[in-house]
Amino acid sequence: MHDVVNQLINTTFGWGWPGWLISLISYLLIATLLFLIAPFQMLFLTYFERRAIARMQDRVGPNRVGPEGIFQPMADGVKMFTKEDIVPDSADKWIHLIAPCIVVAPTMFMFAVVPWGPGMVPVDLNIGLLFFFAISSVSAIGLMMAGWASNNKFALIGAMRAVAQMVSYEIPAVLSLLAIVLITGSLSIVDLINYQGGLFISTMDVASVPDFGLGWFIFTPVGFLAFIAFFIAALAEGERTPFDIPEADSEIVAGYMTEYSGMKFGLFYLAQYVLNFLLCAMTAIIFFGGWQGPGVGWLYSLAITPANPEGGWIFNVLSGALGVFYFLAKTYIFFFVMVWVRGAYARLRIDQLMDFGWKFLIPLTLVNIFGATIWVGLTRWGAAEGLAFVEGWSPIMRWAIAFVVTLALNLGTYLYLARIYAESQSERARMDDEVLERLTNVA
Amino acid sequence: MDLLIQIIFGLLAALIIGAAMMVVTVRNIIHSALWLITSFFGVAALYLVLEAEFIAVVQVLVYVGAIAILILFAIMLTRHISSEGERLLTSRWWLTAIVALGLFGAVLLPTLAGQTWNIPLPTGPAGTPAPLSGVEELGREFVGQFLLQFEVAGILLTVALIGAIVIAFEERSRRRRVLTLSEEYTLRQRQQATAAKQAPVATADVAD
Repeated sequence: MHDVVNQLINTTFGWGWPGWLISLISYLLIATLLFLIAPFQMLFLTYFERRAIARMQDRVGPNRVGPEGIFQPMADGVKMFTKEDIVPDSADKWIHLIAPCIVVAPTMFMFAVVPWGPGMVPVDLNIGLLFFFAISSVSAIGLMMAGWASNNKFALIGAMRAVAQMVSYEIPAVLSLLAIVLITGSLSIVDLINYQGGLFISTMDVASVPDFGLGWFIFTPVGFLAFIAFFIAALAEGERTPFDIPEADSEIVAGYMTEYSGMKFGLFYLAQYVLNFLLCAMTAIIFFGGWQGPGVGWLYSLAITPANPEGGWIFNVLSGALGVFYFLAKTYIFFFVMVWVRGAYARLRIDQLMDFGWKFLIPLTLVNIFGATIWVGLTRWGAAEGLAFVEGWSPIMRWAIAFVVTLALNLGTYLYLARIYAESQSERARMDDEVLERLTNVA
Repeated sequence: MDLLIQIIFGLLAALIIGAAMMVVTVRNIIHSALWLITSFFGVAALYLVLEAEFIAVVQVLVYVGAIAILILFAIMLTRHISSEGERLLTSRWWLTAIVALGLFGAVLLPTLAGQTWNIPLPTGPAGTPAPLSGVEELGREFVGQFLLQFEVAGILLTVALIGAIVIAFEERSRRRRVLTLSEEYTLRQRQQATAAKQAPVATADVAD
């Protein structure tokens, strides 16, 4: 963006503006674009979810406003804006007002590090992944403020549930990402995507692999386990259905949003859908290569880049369009999976939620980190790091051995943990039974 | 550019100090926790001004994302102390003031006075300077020079974790809990079953 603006102002018009002004203009342009994109994603996703869930429940869904009801979200938006804003009498007015902003702001912040296509990232922070998760944890404070300031028991219970769930599922999410970070050796999201070129094997691990943009982490045992753990944690973080106990409408009305109306309520909804979009996008980026796909790498190598100034601008457009297409297709597939899960599963109880997070996902992701270190050792280390025996193997051989070893480790751990977990759950059920038994005898 | 940085620094410092003042002067304890979060954010921004991106993000992740939330949790779970009208000063506030002033004079003043300020910028090759506090450098130092401190901190945290579990642990069979609807239903069924089992025996006794 900086280059394009610079080209336009200083070369085409010849105004000779200073560099900082050009940077400022380009960042403002990017920010405006992103602020426009985020609400539109939310509008589209609400419509998409309502239609998809309606199909699954043998209904039609919204189909009155516009062709096939595509303007329904707009109509809802107008309704939200024109509704009366009601603040409870005994609410803490200021905190009640600020809370929705604090919930929405982090989700907008997170867009800053999400790459949309090759060379299309707002800011390439060298700690992008960490930034994403640090900022996402801020919205928990907004939820808590909303729940407390409403001065409503349901709202407070909802906020407590939301925060307990977010805090405990952040750990498996971050631990599963740690395995990926160990393999790439970088916290930058752009590096993470560049690593996933190649064909089922990353070009970084084995040099002679053709670049079809298919070296996704999902094809490695470490990446697969991390993906499962991360996606489950993402469902919990985005408060999607099997984990939607913070706003379980059959138990606590609407959780922390109970006392909100009009556009403040709309802001919570906006934050939730934008967060879901971002979590799906992150899943696509981290485990499915983001914009990587057949053809993008080849097109981008012909485009105008810092490494290749004599490229054709048409290839910039083409590679960008194809990259964004791949990225959004993957993201929407994951959002569809979220909707699908919502249509298929019932809500968890809070004790099941906590047990599953702490006793199953966290040990699994910890072992996965161990697997990631084995992977790095077998594919990249040599005599210098103390692994002299791998020196003689060919790159493909090293990759295959790492694959088999980590597969065995992860599969074994999964089976073992699943057995232990089932045992502990049945033990718990037996204990509950005993309590019941005692109560029966007393009665 | 230097002037701009100094203005930003001044604003951030004012924000941090102002928020910290609000933490100790506001009467509502929830408000004071929220002002504390503002102060944490200010410190994170200050790290960004120092170009320590990693530390800034970790500040948000650990202090705002974890510690502040735990503080809020603790306050909200003990609701009666969140009421307004609590006294801000205890009857022995002068003792606290003396201790605080003494510590300030003994520890902070010599440090501030003995510090050489305005260190000239290091003259090196132009271009982007290498990050001083990157993830890799920190990691290497943690398993190298500062291993002992790192391990001690780790042990401290583990001990705190185990202590929290020990305090909160309750033997499951002793726990009194509210029955769910389905459990109540099973309970009633069982009660009826036992009642039905005893009833024929009782009638048989009467018949004899």
